[in-house]
Amino acid sequence: MLESVPVARRDAAAPRRRLSRAAPFVAAILAALALWIAPRVLDTFAVNVLTRSMIYAVLAVTVDLLWGFAGILTFGQAAFFGVGAYATAMILAAYGATPLGIAAALAAALAAPALLGLAVGWLSFYHRSTPLYASVISLVVPIVVTQLIYSGGEWTGSSSGLVGFDVLPLEIEGYFRLAALVLIAVTLAAWILVRADAGRALVALRDNEARCAYLGLNPRRLQIRLTAALAAVAGLAGFLFANASGVVAPENAGFLFGTELVIWVALGGRGTLLGPVLGTIAIDYLAANLSGDLPFLWQLLLGTAFVVIIILLPGGLADLVGRLWRALPLGRQEPVPPRLVARAAETGAAAAGPPILKVAGLAKAYGSLTVLEAIDLEIRAGELVSLVGPNGAGKTTLMRCLSDGTEPFTGAIAIGGIPTTGLTPNRIVGLGVGRKFQVASVFESLSVAECLRLARAPHDGLSPVGQAETLGLPQPALDVLRMTGLDRLLTRPTRLLSHGQKQALELAMVVALEPRLILLDEPTAGLTKAERTTIGTVLKALTAGGRIAAVLVEHDLDFVREISSRIVVLHQGRLVLDGTVEDVVGSELVRTIYAGGAHG
Amino acid sequence: MLLLLDILTTAAILFIVAIGLLAIFGVLKIINFAHGAWLTVGAYCAVVTARLGLNPWLALPLAFVVGAVLGGFAEQVIIRPLYRRPLDAILATWGLGIVVGQLITLGFGRDVQLTPNLLAGTVTILGVDYSAYRLVALGIALAIGLLFALTIERTRLGLSARAVIMNETLARSLGIDTGRVRLVVFMIGAGFAALAGVLLTPLTSVDPNMGVSWLIGAFMLVMVADASYLALAAACLVFGAAQVLISTFVSPILGSIAVAVLAALVLRISPKGFSRA
Amino acid sequence: MVKWSLLGAAALVLAAPGARAADGKPIVIGVPVGLSGANSVVAPSVVQSAELAVEEINAKGGVLGCKLALEVADDASGAAGAQKAFDGLIYQKKVDVLISMETSAARNAGLPAVTKGKVPFLYTSFYEGHSCNRNLFVDAWVPEQQVPPVVDAFKAKGAKTYFLIGSDYAFGRGMLGFTRSYVEKTGGKVLGEEYLPMDGSDWTAIVSKLKEAKPDALITSTAGGAPNVTLTKQLRGAGVALPFANLALDEGTAKSMGADAEGVYLSASYVTGIDSLENKAFLAAMKKKFGAELRTPNDLSVPEYEAIYLYKAAVEKAGGTETAKVLEALPTVSFTGPRGTITMSKQHHAPLTMYLGQIQADGTVKVAGTFKDVDPGAQCPKLP
Repeated sequence: MLESVPVARRDAAAPRRRLSRAAPFVAAILAALALWIAPRVLDTFAVNVLTRSMIYAVLAVTVDLLWGFAGILTFGQAAFFGVGAYATAMILAAYGATPLGIAAALAAALAAPALLGLAVGWLSFYHRSTPLYASVISLVVPIVVTQLIYSGGEWTGSSSGLVGFDVLPLEIEGYFRLAALVLIAVTLAAWILVRADAGRALVALRDNEARCAYLGLNPRRLQIRLTAALAAVAGLAGFLFANASGVVAPENAGFLFGTELVIWVALGGRGTLLGPVLGTIAIDYLAANLSGDLPFLWQLLLGTAFVVIIILLPGGLADLVGRLWRALPLGRQEPVPPRLVARAAETGAAAAGPPILKVAGLAKAYGSLTVLEAIDLEIRAGELVSLVGPNGAGKTTLMRCLSDGTEPFTGAIAIGGIPTTGLTPNRIVGLGVGRKFQVASVFESLSVAECLRLARAPHDGLSPVGQAETLGLPQPALDVLRMTGLDRLLTRPTRLLSHGQKQALELAMVVALEPRLILLDEPTAGLTKAERTTIGTVLKALTAGGRIAAVLVEHDLDFVREISSRIVVLHQGRLVLDGTVEDVVGSELVRTIYAGGAHG
Repeated sequence: MLLLLDILTTAAILFIVAIGLLAIFGVLKIINFAHGAWLTVGAYCAVVTARLGLNPWLALPLAFVVGAVLGGFAEQVIIRPLYRRPLDAILATWGLGIVVGQLITLGFGRDVQLTPNLLAGTVTILGVDYSAYRLVALGIALAIGLLFALTIERTRLGLSARAVIMNETLARSLGIDTGRVRLVVFMIGAGFAALAGVLLTPLTSVDPNMGVSWLIGAFMLVMVADASYLALAAACLVFGAAQVLISTFVSPILGSIAVAVLAALVLRISPKGFSRA
Repeated sequence: MVKWSLLGAAALVLAAPGARAADGKPIVIGVPVGLSGANSVVAPSVVQSAELAVEEINAKGGVLGCKLALEVADDASGAAGAQKAFDGLIYQKKVDVLISMETSAARNAGLPAVTKGKVPFLYTSFYEGHSCNRNLFVDAWVPEQQVPPVVDAFKAKGAKTYFLIGSDYAFGRGMLGFTRSYVEKTGGKVLGEEYLPMDGSDWTAIVSKLKEAKPDALITSTAGGAPNVTLTKQLRGAGVALPFANLALDEGTAKSMGADAEGVYLSASYVTGIDSLENKAFLAAMKKKFGAELRTPNDLSVPEYEAIYLYKAAVEKAGGTETAKVLEALPTVSFTGPRGTITMSKQHHAPLTMYLGQIQADGTVKVAGTFKDVDPGAQCPKLP
């Protein structure tokens, strides 16, 4: 049933795609070779310091993934690092560097931070939590961990830290190579992840968390998993550090170290991976060389540079380099668009069973202000219901209650017979509801194709290692794209789209979810006549199949009359009329409301 | 009895330390991580006063002026470009804190400085000998709180500040010069922070990094208090009590993280913190 | 004159073919010390006495014809800073020896680098004892030497119950652990033992506990510097006026604390009032070299001065700076300095003459008792 849609430049793209896919591996192998040889050339001091710098760079990668990509400003990676290092030191001290001891230490260095990461993630991310709150928690965690280390007495060595435990049987050069290999492996894995489709989900989270939830992705789960996974990576760095240095100290887990990591990442260039890695190595190495001779000046320069970069160059040094690079002819590379293919629509029994939407006795108030009252509504498959009423009638509030079960309301809403009370938006999307917002809600940093792929994520999943070459969309979504010309703009960053194009893209994304019930909040606001017609056509076609229902809030009564199968009128929070187009348009009541309510 | 006095005075000290940060967070919606640096600057004002052989209490006005002037400068250069990027503002102010700390180190050296006591000796109150200075600190906290309340409730600046807190766009359209309000509030906040630095000197030694250990506690209290000084007072009392009780009956180490942990949990349960009540 | 000294150096080189003496470069002494953090109160005095020792030795022709040079590095008084400082000194500055006063946290963190880098390490700070490493020698006191005079003196004054307060790290816990066992052995009773982390500054709850316990005497053992200052300030602020001994107090810190320190007992191997020719000459030389900048010489800075002379003697005996030979020579050499004659002959530690002192209003120490050549006890039975 797959029908392929021809796209320009498709054939020319294949070899280049293969090349760009191999490039990071080649670069990684070359870097590994260079670093393998490096200890023969460098003096002991440089080898020693760079070993530490590279371990710190592993941490910088994790901070960059969290902050630069997923938008979670964290000071907490130091805590996970410290937990990993202390777990290693305590186990090695107790069991020695036997194969079993080392294996146990490594396992603990991964598991303990990961568990702590889960707990921290649970604490930091919940429905309606703010990015600031997550940062606050990430500040508290290292402080708590440090104090627990202090209170550990003999067990953790308190302020003295732990020293004199057995370590891996390696020389200084051996540790250098081990740290280099781990750094390259972690960076490469991170590189592959952020280039892959799953990596775009991180950026999507940073851009627009609400939209993610309304695509059925669970932002909380993603954030918590990411936190736990990267905590484990930080723990691995802690394992290396404890072995390479032979000392673990409370400072290693401290909040100050956490801020240092953020400073390195910011200077290197958040969201670029290589920037933070190189930035961390360069700054830590320079610090080791310079801070002995000019400690105050060094810190002063670093602090000043940090402030300047944050204010004037938020993308860090890597951003500056990147801009220069893209200015060169070699650096300009057109991204390759994926091939669009039609996905067969699910064929199921139509219109049987309970109504798609059933609202009974819905009421909602903000304090003493009643916004909705005694709303009863039933919508069946195949219906296209327009919700009209003057401003302040409660239309948008009703839409919000329908799509978010955590809104405080009374009464009952059921989707396909399942009550939604208490369900977060992503779970309601899972019941088959798609919502389009009044102001187009898309992912500004992503391309058109990437936005669409995220919309398909609940159905098709996202590849954690690569970019799929095809993008399968249901036919109605393809129709939207084709009618609005978006199918020729697949690689264009969303922020460069026009207002109408953004609206169309969001509609395509919602349609791509294959919802049973589509909620649209003023889909035609600010659109041209042609664009309105397109949207009308799509909606009619969608509902005509008898499997899908649509509810739209609209002010344009001509448009409403043209496409609706039924019209519901809201006034002052009450449902005052519910009938066919003829019933409503001819109604005296509606005319009075609109004459008084004034909306042209 | 001793315990009650400990709780009250600990809460007072927390309040003194946090009030400057609260003013800035309330009006500017920016978390000023240079707060620790302003505390340090204030404490070094006490060091300078002592070196000049002046009355130690003169450090208070000096610190307020120095803090306010430096704060005004920082607001213009660093805070202003970052109003729309609050997370970046945290980082930039943290960087500013590093710079200030290093400048102090260049000027005074990195070693611990000693300052003369503002007030020595003990007072017998309710049957126990208690540190006279801590009792004075309690009085000062009340005075600062009262001053703050009067400024907010009774002055033009307070009115403008409240308007900006509630709805900045609306305030601007009503002809309030919000930029000026921000500047003045930031200066006052930094001034109060420096003042707090002087008031800490009888309790601690003075060194270039002394502010950092007070920063997190103050920060957490302000998060819980949102923008209300009454909520801040309540938070200081509750968490100060928790800190003293845990330190006394469980472990001083766990006591030292009580404020941060409890505040984080309160925020998790009720994101508006204490300001709701 | 220049020629002569070159010849002299050449002759010495011929006479003593050591590892370093052969190339005529200076012998570099690494001094990792807490210029920032807790120890920053006393660190400058340590650096001053090291500078004096090096200047004196160089003025008299150096060691085996080589000049001495100092490399000072800040260890931030803690483990993480020490690791960086030791790495830098050993691998980057390639020092021949480390001679320094540090916190126990910093010393412990630095030891792996010392072992790996194979350099001798002369530790010049009093500490909690039992730190044993082939490369480590100590010329300052351990609890076995320092605590008994204090407790005995308090006992003589009729004290039966004690309260102990310290910083939570190896030194604080080690000192107070020994104090507790000594108090209990001599029939006293410990009413409480409380700790705050090294960077803690709020002693409120502990001070209140102390006041409620109502002991006869108080013994504290914090990290040197900031914690010492904050604890003393807060104790005085709370009106604590018990017999009070501070195991971590040196004369320099006491002086800078001013009135707060008055009446506090300390037990030390050095006080400025020692009546000997060596001490007077040392004090005069310090005053001449540093003038107004002089930090009061104390129990942490004088051992640094003497340790540099002890190292000089060991290098001369070993005929060079080769680590193995220097380590062999170190326990056998001695130096007579401000504290008397010091030999690190007891399992890498030194017998010392101890003084019980009380701080006076002007910050000077009045000696209340002298204990000759107190033995450090069995610190490292596994070391020769």
